Amino acid sequence: MSVQQALRLASLPLALGLTVWLAGPGLAAEPGKITIVLPEELDIVDPCHASRSNIGRVVKQNVTETLTEINPDDASVTPRLATSWERIDDRTWRFQLREGVVFHDGTPMDAEAVATSIQRTLNPNLDCEIRTKFFGNTKVTPKVVDQYTLDLVTDEPSPILPTMMGTVTVQAPSTPMDELTREPIGTGPYVFTSWTPGQDVVLTRFDDYWGETPEVEEVTFIWRAESAVRAAMVATGEADIAPSIAPQDATDPEMDFSYFDSETTQFRIDMDFPPLDDIRVRKAINLAIDREAFRGTILSKDVVPAAQFVVPGVNGHNPNLKPYPYDPEQAKALLEEARADGVPVDTEIEIIGRHANYAGVTEALEAVLAMLQDVGLNVTLRMTEVGEWNDIYTKPYAEDRGPNLFHAMHDNNNGDAVFTVFNKYHTDGAQSVISYPELDEIIEKATVAVNPERQELWQEAFRMIHEDIVSDVMMFHMIGFTRVSPRINFTPTISTNSEIQVSTVTFKD
Amino acid sequence: MRPDGRETALGAYLIRRALHSLFALVGLIMLVFFMARLTGNPADLYLPLDATLEARQEFNQRHGFDRPLVEQFGTFVAGLGTGDLGHSIRKDRPAIEVVLEAFPTTLALAVATMPVAIVCALVVGALAAYRPGGAFDRVASVGSLVGASAPDFWLAISAILLFAVTLGWLPTSGTGTVWHWLMPVAVLALRPFGMLVQVVRGAMIGALSSPYVKTARAKGVRESTIIFVHALRNAMLPAITVAGDLATSIVNGAVIVETVFGWPGIGKLLIDSIIQRDFAIIQAGIFVTACVIFLMNIAIDLAYAVLDPRVRHA
Repeated sequence: MSVQQALRLASLPLALGLTVWLAGPGLAAEPGKITIVLPEELDIVDPCHASRSNIGRVVKQNVTETLTEINPDDASVTPRLATSWERIDDRTWRFQLREGVVFHDGTPMDAEAVATSIQRTLNPNLDCEIRTKFFGNTKVTPKVVDQYTLDLVTDEPSPILPTMMGTVTVQAPSTPMDELTREPIGTGPYVFTSWTPGQDVVLTRFDDYWGETPEVEEVTFIWRAESAVRAAMVATGEADIAPSIAPQDATDPEMDFSYFDSETTQFRIDMDFPPLDDIRVRKAINLAIDREAFRGTILSKDVVPAAQFVVPGVNGHNPNLKPYPYDPEQAKALLEEARADGVPVDTEIEIIGRHANYAGVTEALEAVLAMLQDVGLNVTLRMTEVGEWNDIYTKPYAEDRGPNLFHAMHDNNNGDAVFTVFNKYHTDGAQSVISYPELDEIIEKATVAVNPERQELWQEAFRMIHEDIVSDVMMFHMIGFTRVSPRINFTPTISTNSEIQVSTVTFKD
Repeated sequence: MRPDGRETALGAYLIRRALHSLFALVGLIMLVFFMARLTGNPADLYLPLDATLEARQEFNQRHGFDRPLVEQFGTFVAGLGTGDLGHSIRKDRPAIEVVLEAFPTTLALAVATMPVAIVCALVVGALAAYRPGGAFDRVASVGSLVGASAPDFWLAISAILLFAVTLGWLPTSGTGTVWHWLMPVAVLALRPFGMLVQVVRGAMIGALSSPYVKTARAKGVRESTIIFVHALRNAMLPAITVAGDLATSIVNGAVIVETVFGWPGIGKLLIDSIIQRDFAIIQAGIFVTACVIFLMNIAIDLAYAVLDPRVRHA
């Protein structure tokens, strides 16, 4: 019998009595109400920043909804506030809006209201993250056709505008245009009831919601930075869902579920600096890493070795690419070949990582360090904090930086590879260290193409990156862990990092 | 001596201290202002990674981060005149509002913790000093050293796992009822308690072997009176100094307890703001904390004067 079990038995009668006595508000769960505990508090609550995960998890599809919704399994675009859409011409998409939808303040949702909301999201004075993240290069002008028909006109051909509208949250016209709101009003199944900064956010069910009435009547969001505490809260019943906990806290198979959280980890090879400018060295680095060794040890056994930066299900994912095998002999041979050709293989290479990027990151990088040293490379490791890491990750780069392997984690649960490929691999991409005109051309063609050609072009881009250019050391498609109380049903998806649809939560009888 | 001599001396002392603190405060603000801005580019942290270079430049322009540092400082000082300690971009609120919201939480934690630590340390330290080298003394010494050295994040999480999850006696975290205070205060009090026990014990051993105690014993005064009235009063002076130091450090050091137990205090706010380069909150937070610490230091000096007549007449 373990110590924990012994303690539990010994204290059972005492604990029962004390627990019953101590149970007050917050310790006992009330019917129809749930509590969700998140890691990071939101600083602002305006849904035009819903692409930021700590805000999106609270408001997206709960308080405010989007015109379309991206199916996480296959990136298909499904109706939400829009019922159908068609491409009128190269730069115009026509959306049919759902009738009979009202905002929480009673105003009806129509084309006028949606147009206003889109203009607000794209208002440069507001600095909305949705605009910066997805519409930085795309100018969209809404045009009202009739009460429930809205045209969206773009300055450049935009074949995936319906996908992109899956990110734009629709708010009531009464929302102030030039300042952020602290009481978002949307069309979603839950009304934003209260926000006590530092304490909680409460949402209450909206009786005039257009869709199916959800089971949960009231949801309270609270925050605890420490994963062990979040897991403990669900274990004691103080909370019902902890959407992300660390692997070492996911110890209860009854309550804990793992899920692909759409994040992928990799090393960006800084190819400007010898010896990393030699493809043999880059391939050797890939072959020197035993990816299988991480599974079930430092990382969860469910992580999947990756061959590209997007997860399966995102449009453009290439199912034919295989991760590099573990072949240290071949790695050594390649390095010898390069050395014989005069490549300065023994130059010190720096691995750069970020503290607390994910659970176990420091240990994982130390393991990679050892694996690279085993094949004869001269490597060191530097862990940085997030500000410095951002600086190194993004242009402009320091001139004197030296050869480095930059460890990064990226998520794309917005349905299309364009949100990844441009920034990471195009000559003008903000985090790109490469410049290949051939690749640029494919990226530019894919950006304005439609499926199936679009998908084929993205797949070719990933193939080129993985096999011809080798600008990356891809590591893993990552796993998240959720703890769910036995009194409810909730299934996490790859979107769970960005949104938690409370309307999908049901109570077990 | 003039009848109001003491008041004038006290008044002059307070004014001197206040000016001294003001000087230090100004220096601190300048230091924080410039050092914070030298840590890097806030645009990279506020904007998503996907933001274009133009978006970043435009952001810096709009918020004045591309102006020369001295000009930025000038704008800040001008704002100070109107009581404006800056606007937090991240929280879209005046920085002083955010700071004043968080500060009472930490203050409450400190106010609850220090008396607990002090009282327990006085009792344990006095009893340990009574028979130096005895069984109680040894246990108390080891225990207090362990308490002073144990890492608080480990203590906090272990306490939660034991008392909340396994035993179900207490809530895991958060604020609300008296029960929510037990673990945070206990964890936070352990290090001050540990350190103070050592100080009290040392001072008490000295006091208990002094001539006036021998006299009191010869006069037949009760043992408990000797320990807890005569000797302790003299041993309190060094304890107050250390306790004062510890109290001011709790204001900053409660960050771990705040983080683990989910208390929205100033410690966590400052750490998060530093990581996120929220300059306005860093400045406002340090400003308010510094003011409070200066006030606490002055209060400790006054407490000393109350307790020790020798200081008063110096």
